Amino acid sequence: MATTDGTTPMNGATEQKNYDLMPKMMPNLDRHLIFPLIENMEQQGIFPQQQIVQAKYDLLKHTNMTDYVGSLWKEIHDEEELPESFTKKREEVLEQLKLLEEKSAKVLELLETEEVISMLRSDKTANMKFLEETHKVTMDMVNAIYEYGQCQYQCGNYSGASDLLYHYRILSTDNEKTASASWGKLACEILLMNWEGAMEEINKVKELIEQKFNNPLGQLQHRTWLIHWCLFPFFNHEPARDALCELFFSPAYINTIQTSCPWILRYLAAAVITNRTRSRNSSQYQKQLKDLVRVVKQEIYEYTDPITEFVAALYMDFDFEEARRKLAEAEEVLKGDFFLAATTEAFVESARHLISESYCKIHQRIDIKDLSARLNLTQDEGEKWIVNLIRDTRVDAKIDTKDGTVLMNHPPQSIYQQVIERTRGGFFRTQVLTAAVSK
Amino acid sequence: MSRFFHGGASDSESSSSDEEDLYSDEEEEKLEESSSEESSSSSSSDDELSESEEEAEGGNRFIAGGKYDDSDESEDEGKRIVKSAKDKRLGEIESSIKLIENAEKINDWVVITAEFDKLNRFVEKAKQSGPVPKLYIKAVADLEDFMAESIAKDKASAKKMNAANARALNTIKQRIKKNNRTYEKEIEQYRGDKEGYMVEEENEEKPVVKVKKDRAAARENVAPGGLDDDDEGFATVGRGGKVVQYTPESIFKHLKIIIEARGKKNTDRMEQIRTMEKLLEIAQTPYQKIKVLLALVSTRFDLTTGASNYMSTEQWKNASSEFNTLLDTLERNPNYIVHELAEEWDDDEKAPEPSPDEVFKVPGSVVSFIERLDDELTRSLQNIDPHTTEYIERLGDESALYTGIVRSQAYYERIQQQQDVRVPESLNRVVNRRLEHVYFKPAQVVETVEENTWNSLPNSVESTITPRLATRNATKLINTLCTYLYKYDQTILRTRAILCQIYHHALHNQFYKARDMLLMSHLQENIHGADVSTQILYNRTLVQVGLCAFRAGLIYEAQTALQEICGTNRLKELLAQGVQIQRYAQVTPEQERLERQRQLPFHMHINLELLECTYLTCSMLLEIPALAAAGSSPDIKKRAISKTFRRMLEYHERQIFTGPPENTRDHVMQASKALATGEWKRSSELIHAIKIWDLLPEPERIKEMLAVKIQEEGLRTYLFTYAPFYDTVAIDRLAEMFDLTERKVSAVVSKMIAHEEIAAALDQVNNAIIFRKGVELSRLQSLALTLSERASSLIELNERVLEQKTAGSGFEGGAGGGRGGRGGRGRGESGRGDSDSRRGGRGGRGRGISSSRGAVRT
Repeated sequence: MATTDGTTPMNGATEQKNYDLMPKMMPNLDRHLIFPLIENMEQQGIFPQQQIVQAKYDLLKHTNMTDYVGSLWKEIHDEEELPESFTKKREEVLEQLKLLEEKSAKVLELLETEEVISMLRSDKTANMKFLEETHKVTMDMVNAIYEYGQCQYQCGNYSGASDLLYHYRILSTDNEKTASASWGKLACEILLMNWEGAMEEINKVKELIEQKFNNPLGQLQHRTWLIHWCLFPFFNHEPARDALCELFFSPAYINTIQTSCPWILRYLAAAVITNRTRSRNSSQYQKQLKDLVRVVKQEIYEYTDPITEFVAALYMDFDFEEARRKLAEAEEVLKGDFFLAATTEAFVESARHLISESYCKIHQRIDIKDLSARLNLTQDEGEKWIVNLIRDTRVDAKIDTKDGTVLMNHPPQSIYQQVIERTRGGFFRTQVLTAAVSK
Repeated sequence: MSRFFHGGASDSESSSSDEEDLYSDEEEEKLEESSSEESSSSSSSDDELSESEEEAEGGNRFIAGGKYDDSDESEDEGKRIVKSAKDKRLGEIESSIKLIENAEKINDWVVITAEFDKLNRFVEKAKQSGPVPKLYIKAVADLEDFMAESIAKDKASAKKMNAANARALNTIKQRIKKNNRTYEKEIEQYRGDKEGYMVEEENEEKPVVKVKKDRAAARENVAPGGLDDDDEGFATVGRGGKVVQYTPESIFKHLKIIIEARGKKNTDRMEQIRTMEKLLEIAQTPYQKIKVLLALVSTRFDLTTGASNYMSTEQWKNASSEFNTLLDTLERNPNYIVHELAEEWDDDEKAPEPSPDEVFKVPGSVVSFIERLDDELTRSLQNIDPHTTEYIERLGDESALYTGIVRSQAYYERIQQQQDVRVPESLNRVVNRRLEHVYFKPAQVVETVEENTWNSLPNSVESTITPRLATRNATKLINTLCTYLYKYDQTILRTRAILCQIYHHALHNQFYKARDMLLMSHLQENIHGADVSTQILYNRTLVQVGLCAFRAGLIYEAQTALQEICGTNRLKELLAQGVQIQRYAQVTPEQERLERQRQLPFHMHINLELLECTYLTCSMLLEIPALAAAGSSPDIKKRAISKTFRRMLEYHERQIFTGPPENTRDHVMQASKALATGEWKRSSELIHAIKIWDLLPEPERIKEMLAVKIQEEGLRTYLFTYAPFYDTVAIDRLAEMFDLTERKVSAVVSKMIAHEEIAAALDQVNNAIIFRKGVELSRLQSLALTLSERASSLIELNERVLEQKTAGSGFEGGAGGGRGGRGGRGRGESGRGDSDSRRGGRGGRGRGISSSRGAVRT
């Protein structure tokens, strides 16, 4: 039985394996962030249980989550007793925690009290001076908070770590460490699934990246990390999606994606396509779609998967047959993807819309039967679908039930309209120019 | 010992080198200033000798001297064939002596000096086949006497001689003094019995006059003693050039003399080389060997002067093998290293003896030797007709050179690692040379060369940058070399390295890699600032990228890349593959000379005809549908994709009668015409008939690719052209016409509809295209559209100008951000390609900070 499980997985599973991005993503994520991904793999059951456990163990053995690591070890080696080293490490960790707790206790206590908080200003150096003078807080003590927070994080106590890092950030004047504290806090928020907080942190980290770097390579690296970390709120938190789409499409980040992590295009494509149903703002949506097509086209030599291939087939080659095939493949891939699994339904729905939209745009007369087949629907479903489509997109179309066809009417854009469109912004832009010149 | 060199050496006052040119000019001026009575007009000849003669005696002398020179040379030649032409030689000596005597009479020391030099040379030759002619001894002795006399006279009569003469007298004085020392004994004999000595000559056929060791010692005392006479000191060495003279102990003396003579006039370099070859034979210690080799190789290089000359093959080979010996010596004796910044060792008597763990630095430069060898080879390849076997033979020497380069690289690496001598610059230069020898070659060739090179090197030679076994893969090798330069070099070599790597990728069909590297390097923005040879390399690389795109079937990319170079009429000049004859050229000879120097040797050339053919074919595929689409709209002229192509097409269309195509251009033009009328088959045939495709790898595949492209573009052109005449067209009919699948046809048509290129829609039920009516614009309408377009572009332009004015750097960022405003020769010149704007965007990444700052200032 075991062999059949291992060697003959379903067809979809191989597809998922082929397009699995785990190896590419992992170097850009934190240990703790990878953990949920592995959990997800476990649920999928594509890989043998044994391997998953081993992977978990390897992943976590450097953290301070000694108890859990110990139990994993037991599972792997099928033994009841833990070796000496585990207990020793556990004790060490506890001791360290205790030590750091004592060290940072005073400052934390201070930060709890009303009067101190009321005295704090936005100027960090002044704050520090004030604390030093009135409460004898030294820099070491503040740094202890940072270490304590880090330790808590390593132990898997994310909410505690989050709080500590928050306090540290208020006090610290060390830019380096504030930056890593921000990263740490972002990780905590993500792991706590506190998406609001995570979004806030993402913005902070983004600003840090923009400000701080004079080394382009380092900046690129940090942006790559941020892009990967962003994926967590991206697909789990509805309001975040628009903001993140915008972030990803901003020149700096789209370049980062193209240069160092083209696989993110899958997520970007999925996000843009799924967005269709929600965003009523069609012009913005059109723009995003156009951008997406452009980027996919440019990167096609470096990265392809069914999702980007779908985009390519639909918008570059106008090969509807191919697009339909790719859509089916993409569905499988999405199901297996940690981030996208939840949005599979919406994706397929939107993708169908896109297919029929551009199909209608190009055709004047469409056979309903044929279109239904293209959309993987029955004829009745197809008819209903088309009716909905006509209503939604407000295209000028009519159904001829007798022939089973749809007739499209494409009125050509009026030439006068075009002229007006082109000259519309002129006045405003000239005004801006004049203002700029007179300055 | 070619005739050429000999001539150069014997006519030692010749104007072959610029330096000497200058010198004689200077002298000329001085002469004019000082000589009052001899104010003859300055001669047009650069030859100082004849000039002075002229001044002394007018035209007669000049002619005589000239005649003499000629006969001398021709006789020289003759001598080589008839080995023991003793009489002839004696004749020469006699005539020389006669001239000296004549000059003595009129006190012309300039002539005497020249003649004396000549005389000495003849005697040198005579000595090889027999004893020193008595005639000579007599002349020399007489001359000495006369000289002593005239000096005495000169002193008495205060300032009577002119400057040139006085100088000549001075020179000859020293020369004679030294020279006569060699023949001390003979001269004494002669002076003792003037009459008898001459009579004896007849009987005495072979009294071998051995030069003895003590004489050598005596000379050694003289040489360093003389202040001005190094030249002459050397000459003596040459004259007494017998093996026995050279002892290991005296090597340094000889060397010193030679080195001091370097760069001076009147030095017979061939002579020096011969001397040093002998010295090398007897050199024993590594130090001696190194010193001799260093001097010998650089003297060989000195043989060739002037910009148009090149080193003879024989000399080159000798130099190359000596260079190898040098490296070999250095490898065997790791405690000696040759270093540019080493202190000169002053003590001639005692060679330095470093202890085994000590490093002794010898002044010299391995890298400049290998660079010179490389340059000389290139120079000779430039000058040899590439269609001869000589060229191919010469090309064979490249492997020896390459071995030398690799070996020097290993040498520098070794001294850097083991002796901890920092020579980063030299190492970079060597690495760069190596790179320049491999980058343009196909992988197999590189791999073979590498293998042969390593096989010919001794096992002890190893390199850490490019280990023996790791360099078997060409791409890897180039990558390693380039990465090394990226890491350790900050100069132009780095730019060259990246260009070489791009070239290599492009050559091996790695289009995307090559393009990405090219665009990320941002070279197109600052290549103008680079030196000419780097610009040429850039052009070559760009063209190669274009060819690579073409092979990959990326017509648009190929066209854009090639546009810049092939779109101009200066293709040859830009690629340094021949000098273009320009109609209104105002090229000074100087410029032309420089350009000739820049030429690439033939084996590095990129086939120009292929290039043109590729460019035109690409242009055709893009331009013909564009022309059809533009139809008769007013801005047809403006949107020319390739001006060159349009011009040729117009020219072709103007012709009343067009015969069958003869050259590549005719083929493409006729194919274009056929394509424009929808005759894709004919067009395809014409393109296939071009023979030059065979030069590409897999020509069949290329032709196939082109056929498919022509079909597609033909379909597009057809639709553009004939859309107004149709109401509907069945897809299957189009498919039949253009021999495409229906699916392909609908894909192409769909694309055109979606991009709003044609006003049409598909009818799925009848499987046909329905053209919309009433969309053709009236003249007024189209003009209104154009006007509105212009208005908006005007605003855009204004905005850009403002941006540029207010924030200089900000504009740059903006341009990099994909506006395509990178003028000049940048790829992004067109600004219409997606790929361009995107790469520009990538550039924006690095400069995000600066551009945002610019925005703030605005």
